[in-house]
Amino acid sequence: MTKPFALIVEDDPKLNEIICLTLEADFEVETCIDGDTAMELLGNVVPQIVILDLHIPGRPGQEVLTHLRSNKRFTRTHVILTTADNRLAETLHNDVDMILLKPVSPTQLRELALRISSLQ
Amino acid sequence: MSYHFTISMMPLALGILISGALALYTWQNRQAIGATSFAIMMLMLYEWEICYIFQLAGTDLPAKLFWDKLMFVGVVATPVAWLAFALEYTRRRAWLNPRRLAMLSIIPIITIIFTLTNDLHGLFWTSIALTYEGGFFLLDNINGPWFWVHALYSYTLITIGQVLIVRALLRWPKQYRAQMTWILLATLIPFIANIIFVFRIIPILLDLTPFALTLTAIGLAFALFHHRLLDIAPIARDIVVDGMKDGMIILDANQRIVDINRSAQQMIGLSSEQQHIGRPVADVLSKWPELIERYRNVLEAADEISFGEGGTQRWYELSLSTLLDENKSVIGRVITVRNITDRKRAERQLQESEARFRQIVENANDIIYRVDSHGCLTYANPATMRILGYEQDVVGRHYLELVAPEARHKVKRAYDHQFLSKTPTTYHELPIIAADGSETWLGQKVQLIFEDDQITGFQALARDITAIKQAQDALRLAHDRALEANLAKTRLLSKVSHELRTPLGGILGYAELLERNTFGELNEKQQKATSQIIESTEYLAVMVNELLDEAQLRSSAATLHESVFSPFTLIQQATSGMDILAQKKGLEFSSYIDPNLPQAIYGDDRRIRQIVINLIGNALKFTKEGSVCLNVTRPDEHYWGIEVTDTGMGIPKEAQADIFEPFRQLDRGLTADNRGVGLGLSITKQLVDLMDGKIVLESEPGKGSSFTILLPMKAVG
Repeated sequence: MTKPFALIVEDDPKLNEIICLTLEADFEVETCIDGDTAMELLGNVVPQIVILDLHIPGRPGQEVLTHLRSNKRFTRTHVILTTADNRLAETLHNDVDMILLKPVSPTQLRELALRISSLQ
Repeated sequence: MSYHFTISMMPLALGILISGALALYTWQNRQAIGATSFAIMMLMLYEWEICYIFQLAGTDLPAKLFWDKLMFVGVVATPVAWLAFALEYTRRRAWLNPRRLAMLSIIPIITIIFTLTNDLHGLFWTSIALTYEGGFFLLDNINGPWFWVHALYSYTLITIGQVLIVRALLRWPKQYRAQMTWILLATLIPFIANIIFVFRIIPILLDLTPFALTLTAIGLAFALFHHRLLDIAPIARDIVVDGMKDGMIILDANQRIVDINRSAQQMIGLSSEQQHIGRPVADVLSKWPELIERYRNVLEAADEISFGEGGTQRWYELSLSTLLDENKSVIGRVITVRNITDRKRAERQLQESEARFRQIVENANDIIYRVDSHGCLTYANPATMRILGYEQDVVGRHYLELVAPEARHKVKRAYDHQFLSKTPTTYHELPIIAADGSETWLGQKVQLIFEDDQITGFQALARDITAIKQAQDALRLAHDRALEANLAKTRLLSKVSHELRTPLGGILGYAELLERNTFGELNEKQQKATSQIIESTEYLAVMVNELLDEAQLRSSAATLHESVFSPFTLIQQATSGMDILAQKKGLEFSSYIDPNLPQAIYGDDRRIRQIVINLIGNALKFTKEGSVCLNVTRPDEHYWGIEVTDTGMGIPKEAQADIFEPFRQLDRGLTADNRGVGLGLSITKQLVDLMDGKIVLESEPGKGSSFTILLPMKAVG
C-alpha cells in the first residue's frame, strides 16, 4: 500500500525538519520553505494532506490555501494550518481541517494527520 | 238742535287752536323721546275742547248730551296719554307694554260705554237737567257711582304722572328744571280747576277745566318751544353721560356739583341712590382734601393721579377745564376722570419686564450681541467686552471685522445662507480676533430678527469655546496617536508571538522526537531529561498563549464581530484534537451536543471557539486523572450553554469568588501539574461579559469543577 502524500510548507528549517521527521514514517513527504515553491509543487502533485505555515516567504500561506480551496483538483486535499498568528488563523477556520497554534506537538500533529488523511 | 256761540268762548277756541297745532307739530317730530304720547295727549285735549265748546253752545238738552258724551272720549283718554308721556319722558317707556296699556284702558272704555248707555242704568249720571246760569245754558248733573270711579281713576293717573315728573325734576340737572316746571304747572292748573268743578268748591255749574286746559296748552307750548322740551331730552344726556366709562363732574361757579355721572360716582365711591347734585365738591371729595387744594384755582389741567398703594393702587387721568360765559366770567368747571390703572399696570409690568431681561442680558456670562441688516453691531453686552477685551466702541463696527481674516469668507457665506434661506436659528463656531489680537473661538447661536416678515438683522448668543476647541484638538491628536500606538502594539504582538512560538516549536518538536527515540534509543536519564524539556516547553507555550491572548484582548477595542454560524461545526472544530491531548495525559475526553440546538446561531464564533478551547484546555491542565467532559446544552429558549466538567483538583470555596481575576492562579501556588499564568479564565470571563452571557462555576476540592457558560440565544431563521 502506498503511503499517502503529504506536502509540508514551513519556512523555519528546524520546524520543517521536525514535521518531516514526524510524518515520514507514515507519509510520502515533500517539503518546501516558501509559497512560490509550494504552488509549483502543487502544479504537479495532489497531496492527501498539506501542513501549511501562514508566514512564509514568497506567496503567503493564505494564497496557497485559496489556491487549494478554489481548485477542484484539491477537493480531497486536507489542510492543517500551523501558525504563530492565532488571530489570522481563526479567520481561515472554515477553509482548513485543523489549526495548530505553534509550538506544535509532533505527537499531536502525527495523530491528527493520520486521522484526517484516513478520512476520504 | 240749536247752538248759541258767545264771545266768552274765545279762550276755549284759543285752547283748541294751540292744542291742535301742538298735536300736529309734535306728531311731525315724533321721533323725539315722548313726542308720540305728547301728540296723542294734545289730540285728546283738542277733541275734549271742541266737544266742550259745542256742548256749551248747545241750547237744548239733546245737543248738549250728544257733545257731552262725545267729549268723554277726550276726557278719559287724556289722563292715560299723560301718564304715557310721563313714563316715556322719564325713561320708563319699557314699562308701558301693550298689555299694560290695555289694562290702563279698561276703566276709560267702561266709562265711555256707561256715558253712552246712561239712560238705561243711570250709573254715570243719576239725573241730567238743563239750566240757564250766567249767560250760558248749562247741564246740571247729579253724578252716579261710576262717575266717581272714573274721577278717582283719572286723578290717580294724573297724580302718578306728576310724581314721576317731580322725581325727575329733583334728580336731573338744572338745565332741565325749567321745562319740567312748566310741564308740571301746565298739568296742575286743569287738575285744580277740575277738582273745583267736580266737588263744587265754587258753586257754579260751568266746568272751568277746559278753560284751564287752554292754559295747559299755552304752558306746554312754552315748554316745548322756549325750553326745547323735546329737542334735548334728558334721556339723551343720560345715555351719553351716564353711559360714559369716564367719570364726569360738572361744577358751578360756587364749586357745587351740577352734574355727576354714574362712572364718577363709582370712582369716588358714592351711592347712586343718594342725591349729590347741589352738594359742594369739597364735601363729596372730602376723602381727598389735597386734590381740592391742588386744583382750587386751576383753570385748565391734565394730570395723572393715583390713590392707594401696591395691589390696590388706582391710577386716573384727570382733566379739568373751566366753563366761561360770553363775558368770560366763570360759570363752572368740567372735570373728567379716566381710569388708567390697567394701562399704568401694563406699562409698569413692561418696564419691570424690560429691566429684568436687561439685567439677565447684562449679567450673562455669555456674549450676547445684535447686528442690524447692514451687518453693524447695535448692541453688545458687558460679557462681550469682558471676554474679547473690547470697549463699548465695538458697537457700530461691522461684525466681520472681528472675525479672524482666514475665517471671514466662510462665516460670511454661512450668514448669507441663513439670511437667504431665512433659517431662524443656526449654530456656528468661529474664531474671533480679541482686542489684544489673540484668537478666541466662539460657539454661537445665531437667531434672525424679523419685523413683519422682513429680516432686520440677527442676534447671537455666543460662548468662549477656545478651551473646548483646544481640548478637542488635543483629544483628536491623542486619539490618532492611540490608534497608531495600538496598531504598532498589534504589530508588535504579532511579531513577538511569531518570534516566541517558532523557537518553542523547535524545542518542543526536537524534544518529542528525542523522546520517541527518533534519533536513537535514549537511556533512562536522557528520557527523564527530555520529559523535563517537554514539560517546561509546554508550560512556556501555555504562558505565551495566555499572555498574548490577554494582551490582544486588551489592545483591541473590545468589540464583537458577529455573524451566522453553526454551533455543531464550531464545537467540532474546537474539540478536534482535544482527545489526543487528553490521551497524552491519560485522560478521557468526551463531548455531547444537544441535537435540539438551532443549526444557525448569530454571534462571534471566533470568540466562542476561543472560550471553548480555553475551558477545555484549562480542564485538561488541572485534571490528573479521570475525565473531561463537554456538554453543549439548551437550558431554555433564551440561552444556550457550554458546560465543561472535569474530575480535577477542584477549587476551594474561598478562591471561587476571584478565580476570574487575571493572574489569580498564581496565588494558589504552582505545582508541576497545573502550571499556567492564570489568564485563561480571566479572558473567558471578559469575553462572556462582552457577549452579555453568564459564567457559573460549581466546584468541590478533590472532586472536580464544572464551568457553565450561558450565552444569549440569537437563533437565525
